[in-house]
Amino acid sequence: MSGHAEIDEVWPRDGRLRLVGRLHGPPPGHAARGALGRLRTRTAEAREWSVQFVLREDRGRPWRLRYPARLDGARFDVTLPVADLAPEALRLPARWDVWLADGSARLRAGRFLDGVTGKKEIMVFPGQSVSRTDTAVLVRPYYTVKDNLSVEVRPKR
Amino acid sequence: MKIRYLLLHAYGMGGTIRTVFTQANALAAAGHDVRVVSVVRRADKPYFTLDPRVRLTALDDRRAGAGRVPPRPGRGAGRLRARRAARLAARPPRWVPPGESGYGAFDRGLERKLVSYLAQLTDGVLVTTRPALNLLSARFATGGVVRVAQEHMNLGVHQDDVRAAIARWYPRVEAISVLTHRDQDDYRVAAPGARVERIPNAVHSLKQKPSTCAGRIAVAAGRLRPQKGFDLLIPAFAEVAGEFPDWQLRIYGEGDRRKQLRKLIEKHHLYNQVFLMGKTDQLDEELSKASFYVLSSRAEGLPMVMIEAMAHAVPVVSFDCPTGPADVLTHGTDGLLVPPGDVGGLAGAMRRLMADEALRARMGDAALATVQGYAPEVIGRRWSELFEELLAGRRGR
Repeated sequence: MSGHAEIDEVWPRDGRLRLVGRLHGPPPGHAARGALGRLRTRTAEAREWSVQFVLREDRGRPWRLRYPARLDGARFDVTLPVADLAPEALRLPARWDVWLADGSARLRAGRFLDGVTGKKEIMVFPGQSVSRTDTAVLVRPYYTVKDNLSVEVRPKR
Repeated sequence: MKIRYLLLHAYGMGGTIRTVFTQANALAAAGHDVRVVSVVRRADKPYFTLDPRVRLTALDDRRAGAGRVPPRPGRGAGRLRARRAARLAARPPRWVPPGESGYGAFDRGLERKLVSYLAQLTDGVLVTTRPALNLLSARFATGGVVRVAQEHMNLGVHQDDVRAAIARWYPRVEAISVLTHRDQDDYRVAAPGARVERIPNAVHSLKQKPSTCAGRIAVAAGRLRPQKGFDLLIPAFAEVAGEFPDWQLRIYGEGDRRKQLRKLIEKHHLYNQVFLMGKTDQLDEELSKASFYVLSSRAEGLPMVMIEAMAHAVPVVSFDCPTGPADVLTHGTDGLLVPPGDVGGLAGAMRRLMADEALRARMGDAALATVQGYAPEVIGRRWSELFEELLAGRRGR
């Protein structure tokens, strides 16, 4: 099985978005087999991991936001201002996919290990309002139909 | 022994249908001649499983096209009969009280069909399963059949006109059966002179996968309606959520209060711990993952999902609401009973179980011992004993 970043907690509150989780399984290209694999696994901690928000349907202009995620063992705990996800230039509606990445490996963030299917309708998070000059927008993390974590940004009704 | 169960719609998916099928299956397995008669039929196959030895028939087949070929629009008697049937179908029932929640399912034509069915029964036992059918049985099944009127709802939920009809007619049947002690008392007062028996519903099976009670999952289930008190459960869970951040509360069921409950979850910032799971067809599997079950209802009949949970060796935290939980649970043994509506008390009881895995395991084992009395065979035996006694009484007369 290829690895992923298992999300344990999502905290959309007080103008921030906090993500807590852990790396799960061998990241691609880091098979934990043999002495070299173990060495790589050990060094995974030392490498610079970050949480990345990658704009989906970016119309050929790749857009990504990076936040350093210092690992504690396999665990990460990252907080960012939610307004970062709704910059003025962002065309609405927009979706950011959440990844964990170091220089070479990139792991999709999601929630797969709890045996709950259909999270999109079950594990639902509140949106937070962000003011832009033109309009107020709502930034809301959500699980996709594949139980991956994404964030939607849309005009506030 | 010949036993007939009369259901308004045996092809549906309600709790009454499920428990009646469990009874019918247990009695058929014990060698009795069991039939289920559905007043109307709107589906090809029943939703719940019926033992092949149980014969299922319907008085009025209302499937699209099925058996409702209108008589040829010719002349004479055929046309008159068709006109008369249409006229009767358009008229309201005469004997079913408008306050009966199933009133809308009846019309005068259907009622007449039902009355002539009841009037020709002369032997065996007839079990009716809701007030409309109980009242018609009391009035019209007078040809010698032994009548048992089942009440699956507590008396308190019935409208005044239904209660008046109960007082007038229920004493005529051979026995009324209810689910709880409280109802037994209430129906004895409401229908003076009637014989009121208490036989609880059986669980559908006792061969369930037991929970280890080692996980960090609390389960609740029921329709998302005010009666189920999930609006009390969520604030109660909020009181302990911070202390036990790795615990989840999974609430199974659907209903029109989903939006309000979601708001409540957001207000208490419980979106990482409290989940509205929706409907599931794998409730058994989900119950086997639970470390305790919570019942936060404001009122209950006999809470069957709670008893199903206990069949998985899962302990219970419950409001001591009217009428059901205390009939089943012994406080401190197989669960914890909390004064009804006491949110802080509910939180405290959950905290006690969350903090103590050994206590959960011990109470879970006790819960499994308690539900042995709700095994289909045990409950089936209680029914056949009652029926035999009533039949013997009739012969002796």
